[in-house]
Amino acid sequence: MFRQFHLKDIILLAIIGIIFGVIYLVTGIIYNGLTIALTPFGYGPMANDITLGIWCMAGPLAGFMLRLPGASFLGEFLSAVVEMLLGDQWGVTTLLSGLVQGIGTELGFTFTLYKIYNWVTLLLSATTTTILTFAWDWFRNGYSHFPFSMLVVMLIVRWLSMLFFTGILVKLIINLLNRSHVLAR
Amino acid sequence: MEKILIQNLTFAYKEGQPILNDVNLELPLHSSILLSGSIGCGKTTLLKLIAGLLPKYGGTYSGKIKLPHDQRIGMLFQDPAMQFTMDTPQHELEFTLENLQVPHKEISNQVKAALAFVNLQTVAHQKLTTLSGGQLQRVALAVIIAMKAEIIMLDEPFTSIDEPNRQFLLQKLAQLQAKQGITIIISDHNLRDYQDFIQFIVQFHEHQAKLLSSNASHQLLMNANQHSTNLSTTFPLQGDPSIIKLHDFSITRNQLSLIETTNLKLIQNKVTLLTGSSGSGKSTLLKSIAKLTPYSGQITYAGNNIQKIFPGKYYSQVGLIFQETNQQFLNVTVGEELSLSIKNGKNTFFKGKSSRELLAMVGLPDLTERVIYSLSGGQRKLIQNLIMLMMGQKLLLMDEPFTGLDQLSLGKLLTLIKKSCQHFPQTLLIVSHQLDFLDGFVDYHLSLTNQQLTYRGGAQNESQR
Amino acid sequence: MNPSVKLLLLLLLSFEISFTNNLPVNLILIACLFIVLLFHHLTWRQFWWLMIIPLIPGIAVLITIGGYGAAHNWLTGWGIVSRFYVYVFAGGVMTFTTSPLLLARSLEQNFHLPSKFAYGTLAALNILPKIKQTVISIRIAGKMRGINLHWWSPRLYFKAILSAIRWSDQLAQAMETHGFREGQPRTTAVKVPLYWTDWVILIISMVLLQFLLIALH
Ligand SMILES: Nc1ncnc2c1ncn2[C@@H]1O[C@H](COP(=O)(O)OP(=O)(O)OP(=O)(O)O)[C@@H](O)[C@H]1O
Ligand SMILES: Nc1ncnc2c1ncn2[C@@H]1O[C@H](COP(=O)(O)OP(=O)(O)OP(=O)(O)O)[C@@H](O)[C@H]1O
Ligand SMILES: [Mg+2]
Ligand SMILES: [Mg+2]
Repeated sequence: MFRQFHLKDIILLAIIGIIFGVIYLVTGIIYNGLTIALTPFGYGPMANDITLGIWCMAGPLAGFMLRLPGASFLGEFLSAVVEMLLGDQWGVTTLLSGLVQGIGTELGFTFTLYKIYNWVTLLLSATTTTILTFAWDWFRNGYSHFPFSMLVVMLIVRWLSMLFFTGILVKLIINLLNRSHVLAR
Repeated sequence: MEKILIQNLTFAYKEGQPILNDVNLELPLHSSILLSGSIGCGKTTLLKLIAGLLPKYGGTYSGKIKLPHDQRIGMLFQDPAMQFTMDTPQHELEFTLENLQVPHKEISNQVKAALAFVNLQTVAHQKLTTLSGGQLQRVALAVIIAMKAEIIMLDEPFTSIDEPNRQFLLQKLAQLQAKQGITIIISDHNLRDYQDFIQFIVQFHEHQAKLLSSNASHQLLMNANQHSTNLSTTFPLQGDPSIIKLHDFSITRNQLSLIETTNLKLIQNKVTLLTGSSGSGKSTLLKSIAKLTPYSGQITYAGNNIQKIFPGKYYSQVGLIFQETNQQFLNVTVGEELSLSIKNGKNTFFKGKSSRELLAMVGLPDLTERVIYSLSGGQRKLIQNLIMLMMGQKLLLMDEPFTGLDQLSLGKLLTLIKKSCQHFPQTLLIVSHQLDFLDGFVDYHLSLTNQQLTYRGGAQNESQR
Repeated sequence: MNPSVKLLLLLLLSFEISFTNNLPVNLILIACLFIVLLFHHLTWRQFWWLMIIPLIPGIAVLITIGGYGAAHNWLTGWGIVSRFYVYVFAGGVMTFTTSPLLLARSLEQNFHLPSKFAYGTLAALNILPKIKQTVISIRIAGKMRGINLHWWSPRLYFKAILSAIRWSDQLAQAMETHGFREGQPRTTAVKVPLYWTDWVILIISMVLLQFLLIALH
């Protein structure tokens, strides 16, 4: 029913993963600066929630570009692989995060049975990603020890970040790509 | 079967717009064949069809292509950098031999032999990204040697490499042909200096391709050598006002000097032509002035060190027409691209013009609604020139702005630039391989030879490039 | 040690300590990883790099848990900071001692990862300098037209993805002309051995970790 991933798709997904990393570097998004700024208020770790959406863009983008089951997962996971190989700050756990994020973004497409490709899918995908990644951070980043009120704020912030980056921004990029007729299907 | 047989071949990337239409060709084996034709006529397409990459990677076709069985095909691509999977020549060769299922024990020796054939033993473990265009094409040749390819196709393999490397590759290919009787098919725009190497020419014309006789081919190649263009320029004078100055400027890449220490000025509101062999560092010089690449020494713009000028301000004064056309565009349609330049452009010569009028100025029909990426290379090049002229920077750096243009559109573009400059003076620094029609258009001629940047005066012709 | 097994071990290790919060065990792990790195000629530069990366997020978490958490539990905070260092040192052990190519070869030979995944990813990794250059050029092209492309501009990503589409096409075709076919068997130029001792190391390490976790609870 669905075609397989070809070599070309795999290279494309890997390059997209790298591009997001490079844009992150070149445009100087100040994750660390944000952390420092927020720390005195006890909200330091929230920098993670604010910027997380950027790291989860590759997934939904891949899902929309290839429209295949697993595309979103693979897009997200491959970008984690290249990040790890390029020496990313979180080491091998990047792979685990990539796994979690990949499943999160993929679920949005699964729930729409790989048939619907519009903002509903993106909304769903953003929400499932928020939930799964939050659960993962619950353990990895010690969120379980944070004050409850703060957790609520962070969850909402993360969801908003997902909505903005993996929802709105991805949709705008997809619109541009669709109009330029470069997405061969 | 002693030929590559192509029968009733029709190929289209998009339904109803055939690139090749009912082509019939018989290409003799064990000979050297040159594909010649204007931009976008389908040379690359034909090569990829023979290599079996098309229609696999897009398009539909009908007709037949018959190759002698089990003749292995090797290919050299136009962009030297984009034809490798691995990080070093050694690894790339190993990868290739693994693909061909060469037994483990033999791989190491075959890799050594292939590298030795192209004299690249010393860089076997150097990163491919740090090799020059010429070296990369030699690695690509080594891969083909290791593959034991019997049909070797080269798609404009020499556009980004210098003359010695070109000679080296041609000589090695000739050697292979004499010894092993391989077949060589090259696509190239420039027919110069091929007379000793090429036996047949395939000429493309209006979706057709035909094989010329040996005599006619030879004649064509000889004619290409005679053609020359004269260009006469003067030297800039001591007191001429300058816009850019290079102080103790030099560029090195990979421990190799591209431009040796030099002091130089660029004259304001004049047109300066920059020539030099491929890979000599022309683009690198332009990119240095555009702050896109590091250099040593100092560059000043109107007396100020360019590193101290804020990017936003600097790029409103200095523009660059990229060698790679697609990098210039930011939008999807031609109309959007033009509106952006209408909105932010400062060149008063184009003020108040509509998109359609602007397109007409470079001889294009109303393409406003068209998606840029669906246009032909030549059309894109014209629009690229147009949108950058409209921006009206005081200094416009133009890296090969005329590639892919036919005579008519080149004439129109040159006239437009001249008129624009009369109305709204700009300093232009143009890199160009092609000197036809440039006489009377350029004021000064800067030449990059043997790592030296010097002004040339008097009459020159193309052979002195 | 076999690169894939090494990766698996590091993954298991990182995974497990994500669900425990045991400062002494984390410190022991950091020490072990550090020793491994020393054997692989860790440079000072690399060492400081590893030390600095987790510093800021570490301090942030520490202050949040210690200073603002319900229990003001500084010990828990330190536990999490040390966990970050385990992650980073484990990452260092992987990236400083194993090249992507070796890992790809190992995954292909020892674990039968389809070669298109191994080499497709490598091909993309190897054009990194070109990707960097292009992203920079796109932003400059914007500035020359009087617009600033920020990291939230869809246009920046759009342009970058256009290039990615073109490159992936070119690279796939290039790989194919160099004899690569999806699913076709390949020989090996460099054999990556997988010994039973690799598995023994993995198992012993994990068992030891469990003991430590229980003993130092
Ligand atoms: N992937 C594609 N999709 C649609 N059209 C294409 C594609 N690739 C090439 N074309 C079109 O097919 C025509 C022939 O292209 P081809 O690359 O074969 O030309 P060429 O003779 O090699 O030109 P050049 O001298 O510029 O390299 C061109 O008009 C081009 O616009
Ligand atoms: N970033 C880089 N890293 C390593 N080498 C580089 C880099 N940029 C350019 N080079 C090398 O510098 C040399 C000059 O390149 P450049 O693009 O400036 O040549 P050019 O004169 O513009 O040639 P062409 O006429 O082909 O455009 C080439 O040999 C190239 O391989
Ligand atoms: Mg071509
Ligand atoms: Mg150049």
